Amino acid sequence: MSVIAPNFKLSSFIKSLLDNIFWILLLLVLIGIPLVFMVLFVIPLPVIDGELLTPFLALSWIADPSRTLPIIQAFLETDIFRVMAFPGFGFAALLAAGTIFAERKMMAKIQLRVGPFYCGKFEGILQLMGDGLKLISKEIIIPAKADKPIFWAAPVMFVAAAAAFVALIPVAPGWVVADVDLGLLAVFAVIGFFPIITILSAWSANSKYPFIGGIRALFQMVSFEIPLILSLLGVVILTGSLNLSEIAASQSNFPWIIFLPVGAIVFFITMLAELERIPFDLPEAESEIVAGWLTELSGMMYGLVQLGSYLKLYAFAGLFVVLFLGGWNGPMVVPSFPMELIENGIEMGPITLKISGLAPLLSEVITQEMLNGTLWFVLKTVGVIFFIILPRGVFPRIRVDMLLDLGWSKLIGLAFVNIFIALGLLYAGVLGPGGLQ
Amino acid sequence: MADIAFLALAVITIGSAIAALEMRSLIYGSIALMGTLGGVAGFFFLLDAPFVALFQIAVYVGSIAVLILFTVMLVKRELIFKKIEDPRRKFAGIGLMLVMMLALGAVFIDSGIKTITTDEPPVNFRDIGADFVMYYWPALILMGLILAGSVTGALVLARREDVENERTN
Repeated sequence: MSVIAPNFKLSSFIKSLLDNIFWILLLLVLIGIPLVFMVLFVIPLPVIDGELLTPFLALSWIADPSRTLPIIQAFLETDIFRVMAFPGFGFAALLAAGTIFAERKMMAKIQLRVGPFYCGKFEGILQLMGDGLKLISKEIIIPAKADKPIFWAAPVMFVAAAAAFVALIPVAPGWVVADVDLGLLAVFAVIGFFPIITILSAWSANSKYPFIGGIRALFQMVSFEIPLILSLLGVVILTGSLNLSEIAASQSNFPWIIFLPVGAIVFFITMLAELERIPFDLPEAESEIVAGWLTELSGMMYGLVQLGSYLKLYAFAGLFVVLFLGGWNGPMVVPSFPMELIENGIEMGPITLKISGLAPLLSEVITQEMLNGTLWFVLKTVGVIFFIILPRGVFPRIRVDMLLDLGWSKLIGLAFVNIFIALGLLYAGVLGPGGLQ
Repeated sequence: MADIAFLALAVITIGSAIAALEMRSLIYGSIALMGTLGGVAGFFFLLDAPFVALFQIAVYVGSIAVLILFTVMLVKRELIFKKIEDPRRKFAGIGLMLVMMLALGAVFIDSGIKTITTDEPPVNFRDIGADFVMYYWPALILMGLILAGSVTGALVLARREDVENERTN
């Protein structure tokens, strides 16, 4: 008979539990409760609806939905919620996690493998969580001759730049973290940081493979930034605005991909190159230079770079949707919420369930338009992400000289063709004043 | 608020400029140069010119700094720089800088900069575009020609004839 823990004794287990409870109680009494009182003494408590928000009042509100709902609504309207949860980091990280799982499963199906299978009961759905826990628990090994400050800072800066990119993407009408007037220029400015971070991380590792990968990443990103910027000028010319929300709102009748298919194709190809996806994955070509500029990163540093690159993928897909596919615009498919249910309550037998604070929440924050816009944005973004990860199973990696030839002499030319198409549409009166829009 | 931001930006810009000159490591020097250029972008933000500020970040921090990093990393620095230690040069440089700053400051303060109202809204980039097309059109056409020439030159440089011949063979 095999026993997992042969020296297990129930009495010592219970003793350890009691020990833990004793220490927790002791620390709470000696440190926790005095700390809470000191904090309560120092911090000025907020006044909500003419009442001082003492801890007792706050605890009593938890039990009463009609009093907690205004707090939730106020929280949903704060900037911190936007940055951390909905149009910002949390939402993007959720989509990125879904992307990683779907990518691994899809690549496996294309290559007749099984893919992640054992983690979680259904098709290895918890594999990503397992990988994340593994990366967090692993030791971070820094090369002996590495330049330590830059080496430490680079992964964090990579995630920060990706999160700044995510913050500029509007998800639903009015739901964007940073509604910048010059949003597209801000996007260009943020994209410009990625090659610097990459080359600094690659150089600071003081190792051959990262440096080769970093140099490759540098010239690939820098040379594809030019067709990327040029391919978006057509949309700017037709819209007359650099604000991403206005660009998305201007496509309520038709998406710009109908009139600017050339620009959309150029942008998509440059997007693949900026994201270092196959067939442009020369910076991390695993069959040539180990893992490229990620070779010396270990543990959660590697995890941060992966998180950043998938956030970047989401942000680029979202940018494509906003610029070419109409953003949140789409037919209204979300049904309107029955307001009489909220106002009159639900009668179930002898009880009438009535929630009084829900009406302003549903009519001001979580509106029908917001839900519908988010639904369409997510659907389109998922479609674009599918087409971004599809070439990974289909195409081989291209050569360096072919990459530069494509970037400099073909895509730039096509981007100029796109600009002339946009100008022709404008001056022929098809679009713009007097035309369709 | 604006004063604190101005002071912080001034400290960052000047400090990183001095660091860019004085640092032994060329890589750290170019990172400090990036800080200087970013600080200048911050000044443009303070001056209500976000258009110029974002272009400053996209072009100077995003591209020029990358080019400098690229050069520094690929070239052995012993071959480019021969450092001559001479304290007199340093003092002469500091003196020259002080003279320049005093002269420029005198010109700025004398130019009636104090009468400018500071509560104006940010400059609309559409106005910049309209100005370019209406008033500065010769400069715009000249810039367009130069840019077209440089893009054509880049395309010609990127086209390698030996590779083309190999492919056809």
